[in-house]
Amino acid sequence: MTQSMQTILNGLRLFRWFTLRHLRRRLLRTLAVLVGIALGAAVFTSVRLAVQATLTAYSNSMAHITGTSDLSVVRPGGRVPDGLVVDLLRHPAVQSASPLLSAYVRPAHQETPFLLLGLDPVLDRNLRRWRLRDPQAGPSADWSALMTHPYTMVIGDGLAEHFGWQPGQATPLIHGQRTAEFRVIDILAADGVALVEGGRIAVCDIATFQEFTGLHGQADWIDLRLNGTASPESATEIAARLPPGIQLRSPTARSESGRGMIRAYQLSLTFLSFISLFVGMFLVYSLVALNAAARRRELAVMRASGASGNLLFALFVGEGAVIGLVGWLLALPISGLLVKHLLAAVSGTVSMLFVQVQVDGLTLDTWEVLLSFGVTVAVAMLAAVQPAREAMAVSPREAMAISTAASFRPALFRRLAIGGGFLLVLVYPVSQLPSPPSLSLSGYLAALLLFVGVALLAPLLLRHFGRLLKRRLQRLGGQPAALAADYLRSSGVQTAISIGALITAVALFTALVIMVHSFRTTTILWVEQSIAGDLYVRPKLAELNRFRDPLPPQVVAKLISVTDLVDLVPMRRLELDLKGHTHLFEAMDYADYTVRNRFIWLDGDPSRIAKAFQRGQGVVVSEVFANRTGLGVGDPYRIQIGDQQLDEPILGIFRDYRTRGGAVYYALTRYQERFDDVSWSGVQINVAADAENPAAVMDRIRTDLITCCGAALEMIDGRNLRRAIVQIFDETFAITTVLLLIALMVAAIGIATTLAVLVLQRRRQLNTLLAMGGSARQLRSMIFWEAGLIALVGQMAGLASGGVLSLLLIFVVNRQSFGWTFLYRVDWTTLLLAMPLIFAAALLAALPAVKLALDSAPAALLRGGTP
Amino acid sequence: MQTTTTSAAPPDSERSIQARDLTRIYRVGSVSVTGIEGVNLSVPAGQMVVLKGESGSGKSTLLSLLAGLDRLTHGALTVAGRDLSAPSDTELTTFRRHAVGMVFQAFNLLPTLTVLENACLPALLAGANPDTAHTKASDLLSWLGLNDRLDHRPSQLSGGEMQRTAIARALINDPGIILADEPTGNLDSHNARKVIALLADLNREFDRTVVVATHSDLVDPFATMVLALQDGRVAS
Ligand SMILES: Nc1ncnc2c1ncn2[C@@H]1O[C@H](COP(=O)(O)OP(=O)(O)OP(=O)(O)O)[C@@H](O)[C@H]1O
Ligand SMILES: [Mg+2]
Repeated sequence: MTQSMQTILNGLRLFRWFTLRHLRRRLLRTLAVLVGIALGAAVFTSVRLAVQATLTAYSNSMAHITGTSDLSVVRPGGRVPDGLVVDLLRHPAVQSASPLLSAYVRPAHQETPFLLLGLDPVLDRNLRRWRLRDPQAGPSADWSALMTHPYTMVIGDGLAEHFGWQPGQATPLIHGQRTAEFRVIDILAADGVALVEGGRIAVCDIATFQEFTGLHGQADWIDLRLNGTASPESATEIAARLPPGIQLRSPTARSESGRGMIRAYQLSLTFLSFISLFVGMFLVYSLVALNAAARRRELAVMRASGASGNLLFALFVGEGAVIGLVGWLLALPISGLLVKHLLAAVSGTVSMLFVQVQVDGLTLDTWEVLLSFGVTVAVAMLAAVQPAREAMAVSPREAMAISTAASFRPALFRRLAIGGGFLLVLVYPVSQLPSPPSLSLSGYLAALLLFVGVALLAPLLLRHFGRLLKRRLQRLGGQPAALAADYLRSSGVQTAISIGALITAVALFTALVIMVHSFRTTTILWVEQSIAGDLYVRPKLAELNRFRDPLPPQVVAKLISVTDLVDLVPMRRLELDLKGHTHLFEAMDYADYTVRNRFIWLDGDPSRIAKAFQRGQGVVVSEVFANRTGLGVGDPYRIQIGDQQLDEPILGIFRDYRTRGGAVYYALTRYQERFDDVSWSGVQINVAADAENPAAVMDRIRTDLITCCGAALEMIDGRNLRRAIVQIFDETFAITTVLLLIALMVAAIGIATTLAVLVLQRRRQLNTLLAMGGSARQLRSMIFWEAGLIALVGQMAGLASGGVLSLLLIFVVNRQSFGWTFLYRVDWTTLLLAMPLIFAAALLAALPAVKLALDSAPAALLRGGTP
Repeated sequence: MQTTTTSAAPPDSERSIQARDLTRIYRVGSVSVTGIEGVNLSVPAGQMVVLKGESGSGKSTLLSLLAGLDRLTHGALTVAGRDLSAPSDTELTTFRRHAVGMVFQAFNLLPTLTVLENACLPALLAGANPDTAHTKASDLLSWLGLNDRLDHRPSQLSGGEMQRTAIARALINDPGIILADEPTGNLDSHNARKVIALLADLNREFDRTVVVATHSDLVDPFATMVLALQDGRVAS
């Protein structure tokens, strides 16, 4: 064995003797810290896994639909004629081409919608993988039956399982205004297309689909696969031959913007969950720092016996690593429990806010597991670096002393404070740095600077606070209070750093309370002003099918016939794409709309907007659209709709929280004239203000609509819609609440361990106090005063930095990540109610310390030794 | 001590000490405190040196310089053939591992290590094979009368036993020089005598150079050299 190998092995042996045994001896302390770091790591891991699973499910779904196609032929704001396939196939560079239609449909007697794909089974074979589960099952089990028998479909096993469908079974399906009976001819093998939406998918022949939906001769898009020999120019060549209004696009363009939105959401949750880990970092710091401080003499002896400074450094960083490692292992079962709940919440939120996604299950992503392991261990090791440096600086000379006094280094305080101040100064400039699209890196970095800066300032803060309060406390709480203030003032960096844990948790709490409250208040205001209608009518499953199909003509006719009773606010909605920013284009009548509803303007001159808008001389855009595209008032909005170009200036920017990717409004009459499209995607129905019995009128309209065309429609009561939106909002923030509670829990563990450790560190001193005639009551009261002071300083600093953090979250992070901002509203009620509760929790956390202090008799003085 | 535990005495150079104008001034804030000043010293191999002097006279300061626990302010110092006038950190660490063995007043055993492990510690730090170190440590400990205590923790020992364990630790790497600062300060007279007898044995039977700083006169009969310090200077 080489000498260096032997050195490493001996180092490991010493690690076991010196570090691990000590951790085991102080089991309770160690366990408390382990639980803290485990909770933080569990939150981090499970949040990441849940979002990753959602992202994977979405990407896979999109990839399986895309198949191996190289290009897609689309028509912005509309559909492509499927006859184009013949022309395309004639082009020498095109190897195969397949038209595709898709829509969400649902069984007649069940509520769960699912995705139905219509394709040409022959043309499609070259582009997408899909095959039957068991080709030998019977004579009917042959996919060519899809073409020879109308209204037949093959289904994914997820669907078969969910509805209990078997081959041979017939079931009525609803799409828009039509219902038709489909027969299941077989189940797809779990492969390719059958994996889309977790297997909740059905495939039928495109002719069947067209007949069922009335989309004769149309396709959503046509996928192309080029010859291996095709040159890069062939794409341009193919594009040039397409009829006007039809474009070539990369097949991944469809999924890119969805993925971007999920990633932004992932980053924001990662940040919030990392804070629990960050709070856990303070715990590791305080434990390792305590061990280093309490074992100063042992360190001196090690040095005197020939240990190098580097070895001591390694021992303490190793201590951090072991805590991180064990904490991470403990986090695994906790993550297992958490992740199931989080997965449902996360995929629900993503579906509501960004893109439709069906998560089939959790995939244990190796990279995510490694990431959570790496981050946890790195955080714990990083927390141990400063104590380890202190340890390596211990002079061997200290071994000669009779007893070592804990070292107290004002210079260090000042250096920390200067570093902290420097970081705080950086917060604002960093938050203003440009950030990659959708990922608010500058916002998160600024928030992190804020946390670290305040934590570094905390020691100095505490000392000044102690000095400031000593007199007053003496009067208020007598000798115990003065002693507590004195002690906190002169106690080492360790107390202060533990206060850092509380500051961080309180700051997070404050910031989230403010952010959620601001968001909620703004949303409610917006809902009341912008969704003020009495009844909303739209095609069945319109939301899922992204309003692609208009209201059936007979519905429009029916509604127009009752305009003496009600006001109609119709709109036409298209999903368009501007340089990769998918958004909703909505044509609506400004005058009709503003009878009931109000725009909340963020930019633009409202009086001018109305006139110009009605004349069709401009568009108004939502805040999300403006922030995502970087376009502002006065900039042109240029887009291809069908075979025409729309080019109008942006007149104003309004608040909007409903739409995925932003919205652009344009005058309805002008749209109808220019694009020759008079259909309605949906309509808002309002009872006239002077109606005698509004409820009766509404009832009549509703009954009329149901009898004429009920099966094709969704009718949503305005009040219910508003309530549903607020409910969705609250569900979305349920995750945030969980993260918050865990961060506070970790902070409580932090206070409990800090106080216990402070007592242990001072056992000798406390016992001297008792021996000199102090009463148990005085001792107890002193410790409670300490807890109270720690909590007070922590809460004050936490509130202050939470205020700053909330500004960062609302005006930097949310704006950069999601494109929206809110009115800044502080929820004083919650904050004022919570602060005493947190304070009480801090006092409660002092109980173990009190017990420890009173457990040891004064006689223990005589025994001496380190705590 | 059996022949297996300690080989023949190291060469003379590794057992001698030379100091010229040895000075250590402590700086406490803006104040300078003299530890020792202008100490000249020449200790040939195999001496038993007793350091005497009142409290604060500089005994511990001198010993910490000799043991490589501290750096001198100016002067020249050679211990065990190594120049300690301006050593690097690494040189000091190596010096502490191999050149000297140190015994303290407060015993300074590591509480999480057993008696045997405490005795092994410097050998492991020096990169020795653990099995070899164990064998050697248990031989030393049984010579010191601790063979039924090998797996005990320091907290389970009496003061005398702790100090004997500390002596085993000081001897494990076969240093030519043993340094002891008030080794009997925390012991009753019976145990104090026993420890002094052990140190004397090391000097007489095994030819080690031993330097003991002490207030007690128990060592006097064994001393071959007495050095009295006063206010940081050699008195006579
Ligand atoms: N780390 C230090 N910092 C400042 N002054 C010190 C330090 N160590 C020792 N001194 C001072 O140096 C002088 C010599 O101290 P030293 O400990 O060497 O005396 P000593 O002879 O060992 O005393 P005792 O018999 O009480 O152990 C004293 O005045 C002491 O105050
Ligand atoms: Mg001394």
